[in-house]
This record gives sequence, structure tokens and C-alpha cells, in this order.
Amino acid sequence: MDTFSGYHPLINFTYFVIVIGIAMFYMHPVLLAISLAGSLAYSVYLKGRRTVKVFLFGMLPACLLMMIINPLFSHEGATMLFYMHDGNPVTLESILYGIGSGAMLACVVSWFSAFHAVMTSDKFMYLFGKIIPAFSLLLSMCLRFVPRFTGQIRKVAQAQQCIGRNVNNGKIWERAMHGLKILSITTTWALENSVETADSMKSRAYGLRGRTNFSIYRFDKRDAGLMLFLAAVFCLLMACIANKQIHILYFPVFAMNRPTPAAVLSYGLYGLLCALPLILNILEDIKWRSLRSNI
Amino acid sequence: MALFEIQHLTFTYPGQQEPALKALDFSVEEGEFLVICGKSGCGKSTLLRHFKTAMAPFGVREGEILFDGRRLSEVSVREQGARIGYVLQSPDNQVVTDKVWHELAFGLENLGYDTGTIRLRVAEMASFFGIQTWFMKNVEELSGGQKQLLNLAAVMAMQPDILVLDEPTSQLDPLAAGDFLATLRKINAELGTSIVLIEHRLEEVLAYADRVMVMEEGGILALAPPRHLASLIRGNDMFQAMPVPMRIFDALEGEGDCPVTVREGREWLQQLPATEAMPEGELETKRVPEAGGAGRFSGRRRQNREEAPVIEIRDVWFRYEKELPDVVRDLNLRVNKGELFCLLGGNGTGKTTTLNLIGRIRKPYRGKIFLKGKELGQYRESELYGSLLGILPQNPQCLFVKDTVEEDLREMTGRHGDRERLEEVVEQTEIRHLLKAHPYDLSGGEQQRAALAKVLLLDPEVILLDEPTKGMDGFYKQKLAGILKSLTGEGRTILMVSHDIEFCAEFGDTCALFFYGGVVTSRAARDFFRGNSFYTTAANRMARKWCPEVVTAKDVIERCRK
Repeated sequence: MDTFSGYHPLINFTYFVIVIGIAMFYMHPVLLAISLAGSLAYSVYLKGRRTVKVFLFGMLPACLLMMIINPLFSHEGATMLFYMHDGNPVTLESILYGIGSGAMLACVVSWFSAFHAVMTSDKFMYLFGKIIPAFSLLLSMCLRFVPRFTGQIRKVAQAQQCIGRNVNNGKIWERAMHGLKILSITTTWALENSVETADSMKSRAYGLRGRTNFSIYRFDKRDAGLMLFLAAVFCLLMACIANKQIHILYFPVFAMNRPTPAAVLSYGLYGLLCALPLILNILEDIKWRSLRSNI
Repeated sequence: MALFEIQHLTFTYPGQQEPALKALDFSVEEGEFLVICGKSGCGKSTLLRHFKTAMAPFGVREGEILFDGRRLSEVSVREQGARIGYVLQSPDNQVVTDKVWHELAFGLENLGYDTGTIRLRVAEMASFFGIQTWFMKNVEELSGGQKQLLNLAAVMAMQPDILVLDEPTSQLDPLAAGDFLATLRKINAELGTSIVLIEHRLEEVLAYADRVMVMEEGGILALAPPRHLASLIRGNDMFQAMPVPMRIFDALEGEGDCPVTVREGREWLQQLPATEAMPEGELETKRVPEAGGAGRFSGRRRQNREEAPVIEIRDVWFRYEKELPDVVRDLNLRVNKGELFCLLGGNGTGKTTTLNLIGRIRKPYRGKIFLKGKELGQYRESELYGSLLGILPQNPQCLFVKDTVEEDLREMTGRHGDRERLEEVVEQTEIRHLLKAHPYDLSGGEQQRAALAKVLLLDPEVILLDEPTKGMDGFYKQKLAGILKSLTGEGRTILMVSHDIEFCAEFGDTCALFFYGGVVTSRAARDFFRGNSFYTTAANRMARKWCPEVVTAKDVIERCRK
């Protein structure tokens, strides 16, 4: 059980907006490294060994590809390393930028995979239902509809198989026709059923003024504390960036901030931020262990 | 004061000459449990839709409907939404949202309650219905019975004064239907909510009902407590749909209150002179003349046994995934040519999976299946699904792909297809009047027959049916039975999976009990039901004490007349 997922959806969402936003818009090598480490660790915690496989065989090659491709097409930068045979220069800066954007991509992807596991559909719906109430119900109905629709297609295809009229029966032309027929009748089916769904909604007084949105979430003190922490870390980081305590320049010459005390402090805070879900989980584990030993 | 008062209600659909409802006059009292029954198309659903303005069909309406002393049209949508609860037929279509908790809250959200109130009401309802264990689940994960209970709970969360239900159990298996009806009774008895219920599974529900309304062609044929019903509808077609004790009571021209449950039926039989003269000791001698019928059966079976069985399953094992438990375990089965073979058994015992194995939709991981002596895997697909096997899925709707039944049938024969064969099949399945209709507009029983027609155009030797009587009323069942008999008469073999004990007892040739992935026993229908004590027909349970060999209501009637 992931402790972080147990927090209020607003906390979950804000957290991911901050970490993904910083990783996407500020390609600072140290911050990227911290962020990548944090996101990978959390993904592994959430999904286990599968993440490692995805990282090694999916994301790593993609990053390397970015690293190679970027200097081939971008020739900006002052430090020329050598000329390609078509006469274009390969620069150190564009290689560095390629590495940076590769790492950024990996970061964002792995944060999103954690996002997907934590922000389930009902949390998402709850948040957006607050802003646009009709949207929340619509989304909920879609989420109900899609699996039903695909399930029905499967059933119809199976029934058609048994009378020799599935997509894998007959010549190519016939197969296409069979597929089309299955799709068309399933659409009819969906429309037909929606009439009864509409009846069911009407009979439960849908469409009256002043509809409310019920949710099973409550914003408690624990959530407020974490929200405060998130806001503080975010503001500090932004202040450091605004003061050029942390800064990064790729072109024309690669330049980075020095490790001043302020910069180191903000690295530390950012590390804390990226490792936050893991830290919360570890704290919870420790608490349980002590609870159990007390018994 | 009556909760609902229907005064002289007449209703005609647009473009129709004949009114669908003819001058109905009745009332629903507070706290009453009213059951409405009647053949399909008698106007019962149309009547029920008038109980709520939002659901009322378009057409010309005369007469008044009073709710709580006021005209229904003057009661606000908000009040109607809260006080009149509606549950429809399909468990799936009524669910609006994707989560159980959200569904429970849906109606209350519409009425604009705040979070605190909704939380309380939802919690109350979840506890009352015992659904707190699946409170956080996705609706998709629930079974049909659970979905229907959820629909009921979602309506009850709005705390209605009256529940209106239109065949809520027709798509559920008997066990889930029993649960649902028992919950309705609990609501009625403990909360005092009035209930108006359309139902054709009358065996259980008549025991709960305060009054029963029998409808015929848009009018009221009878409206009385179940015990007084028999004398009012004597000789009518609707008797086919009544519970077995009532049918026997009627056929024997019983006097006074009629029995509704098996227990009452038994007590009533005990008083009859016919049974009094038949002490238990005389059983053995009495059985001799009856043996003629059974003898004919076994004779035919013996004759068939000399031929190779049409379907033979040998030591078959199956599971869906390697990690999952076995669904079919050590299954052995023989089905002979020309018989109507019924596979009975509870839910989730692997009956439908067995059909899928025979239909080669799934493959067993051990054991073999033979069709006409040849192993299943050796048939080419065009052979197997052509003239050999016809498979009707549980939902016959899945077979239709066109806009009219006729086009759908044409699709099977091809453009220059065999017209004669088409005519023949249409005649045999009695669907001529349905040819121009959209397949989705047909009732459950009609859909079943149209789907059967479609499969028959392939001219299959073996037909596999999955719960063909689900959601059918007694009248349609009789019709289906006739068709199935004519098919076996042509030498076709029918294997059907069913929950419907009464149907299998009356029309099946061989019955097998399926339990825990295998066939426990397989015998001629009569022997099968005679031997069982729980898993047997209502007629047998009622009269077993005096004559254990009776299986159907007809048997009991004949025995008692002697």
C-alpha cells in the first residue's frame, strides 16, 4: 500500500505538476539527475521490477538516440569538435543539450508512469469535477462505457466466429466486411442501450438545478501540512532560480552555477521533494514496525 | 389513503388503433406489495411507465393518475425523483457511473444534497444491502446479480415511498433472482416501502405478494390476493405461468384458498381423497403401470447406444490461465443422436465453459473431445461451424448484425441463397411476423427464436444452446419447447445448458447434473429427477411423499385423477 496515494487527490496532483513541470522546463543537469533518481526509485517502489526492464530497454536507448541525433541536426554552440563529411560542425554544446533533453524525457516519462499509478480515474474526476461539474460525470460515464463496448465487440465477434463470420474467416474482402458489420452492430447496440441509461438517469431526477458533487475524499490536517511543505519548497526553488543562484546555459557556451551554499541548499530541498513519496512510505513502515513491537 | 390511484386510465400509442391500456381502475395502498403479471405485450410495462411523468411514453392518454391525493402531473420532478423509485430490466444499462460508491450517490447528487448527508445515506444503504465489501469496486467487476442489487440500492438511497420494478430479475440466474426478490421483501417488510413489481418468475414472489394483478390485452383480468387468484383466472392461458401448486390446484378443481408454495401445496394434497387412499406402502405396486412411460424411454436409449455418440468428451480438463484453478475437471460426457440433452447445475460450475470447449472456442489442456467419432481438432473451421455445429450464445443478440431480421437471415443464405430453406426455417421457428422488425426490438423469447433461425440456416447437426429460457415467460417456453422437439425429431442433437429445472424436466430427454467442473450424474430425465431430493421439480417435491415417480405438474394431475 502506497502511503502517498492515500493523501488527498489535490496533493497528489500538485506534487506531480511541480516535479514534472520543473523537469520539463528547467533542464539543469543536477536537478535532472536528482529528479531522475527520485522518479525511478518511486516507480520501482510502485510497480516493482518491471520498471527496471522498461528503463533499461526503453528509456535508456531513447536517451542515447537523442544524444546522437541532436548534434547531427543542431549545429549551435561555440566549441566545435570536428566537421562531418557534409561540412557541418559537431559542437560540444549540442551534444550536451542532447544528453540533457534525453534525461529530461526519461524523467518526464518515469514521473508520468508513477502519476498513472497514483492518480486513478476517480481522483482525476474528483479534481476536475470541482472545476467543471458536468465533466466529472461525463468522464465517469465514458470510463463505464469503454470497457463495456470493447467487451460487447468481443462477444459479438465470438458469436460470429461460430457461424463462420468473424474477421478471420474468408477472403480479405470478406474479412473486412465482417469486421465492419461487427463494429456497426455494436454501435447500434450502444445507442440502443443508452436509451435505457437515459431513462435510468431521468428517473433518478437527473437534470434538476443545483446538482452537487459527492466525493469520498476529505482534505485533513495531514494534507494541509504536506501542501504547505510543497508550496515552501517550490517557492524557495523559484527564488533561487530567479536570483541566478541556480542557472543553466547551453548555448552559445555551456555554463552552470557554482555550488554556492544557497545552490546546495536548494539541491538538497529538491532532492527531498523528489524523494518525498518514498520518504513518506519509509516513515510509515518505521511507524508500523514500532507499533507492532509495542504490542 | 391509497398511495397511487389509477382512475380509468386509457392509453394509445401514436399511430395505433387499439389502445395499449384499456380503462384501468385500481389503487396501490401504502406499504403494499403488488405483483403484476401477464403475457408479453399485454401492456404491463406501458402501465408501469405511467407511474412517473419522466418515464411516461408518448401517446394519447385519458383518465387520471393520483399520487398521494394529487395529480401526478402536478407533483414536481424533484419530488417524483425522490419519492418514486424505478428499477428497470437490464442490470447493465441502468448503471450510470463507473464506481459503486458513485452510483449509490448519483441520485442524491441530482437532488442536490450536501456531502455530509450523502455520506450518511450512502453508508446506510450500503450497510442495509450488505454491499460495503464491494463499495470501492469498479462496476465492471460485479456480477449481474450484484449490479441489479446496486441499482436497487442506488434507488433506495433516495428513500422512496414506492418502488416500481419492471422485470428486474429476467436477466439473472435463479439464485441471484432469489436474492434480489428476498431483498425486495426485506425492504417491504422492514421499511414499509410499497412495491409494484412486474415478474414472470412467480414461484417465489407470489408467496410475498399482498395482491396479484393479471393483465390481458391492456385490461385487468384479475386483481386479488394470490390465494384467491385461482378461481378468477380459471381456464386462462396465464395459468401456464403460475406456480406448480396453483396449476395442480386448478386442474383438480380445488375449492377454497389455493396453495402458493410447495409446503402449502403438500398440505393441500394431503387432504385430497386420492392421496389418502394412497398410503406410502402402496408405492411399489402403484409404480408398475407408470413404468410404461419410462420403459419407452430406456428402450430408445438402448437403441441409440449402439450407434456412436454424437458428442463424446473424455477426461477433459480446462483452466483459463496456468495460475488459475481448473474450471472443468475430469469431464466425461456422451450425447446421443437426436436427443435433447440438458446440462443442469449452479452458477460458475463450468457449464458455459464446457459449451465453449465443444464449440472449440477454448481448448482443453488435457483430454479429448469427439464429434461424430472424429476428434474436434481435426475438423476444418468451415466444416465445424457449417453443417456440424450451431452455437447460440447466452445473449442471442450477439448473432444479429443487420437492421431487420429478414436481412439477417438473408445474410446466412447469401444473395442467391436457398429461398425454400429460408421459408422452411421461418415457418419452423414461427418468426414470420417478426421478419421486418429490428432484431434489437424483439422481446427475449422472440430474439431467441430469431437467433435459432439464423443458426438453423447453416443446417447444423448439433445445436448448442446456452440458457435458452432465460428471461422467458411460460408461454414462450412452451413455444420454444415445441420448436426444439421438432428439431430433435429431424434427427438433430441439442445440448443445452440451463438453470431451468422445470423446463428440463418437462421437455428434456437426458439430464445431467454439473457440479464442480464435471458431470456428477447423467440419466434419462425422469430417472434423474425422481432420484434427486433437492435438485428436482416443484411437482416432485410436492407429491414425493405419495408418489415419488411424478416429475411434472401433469403427472401429479393425472395421478390424482385416477
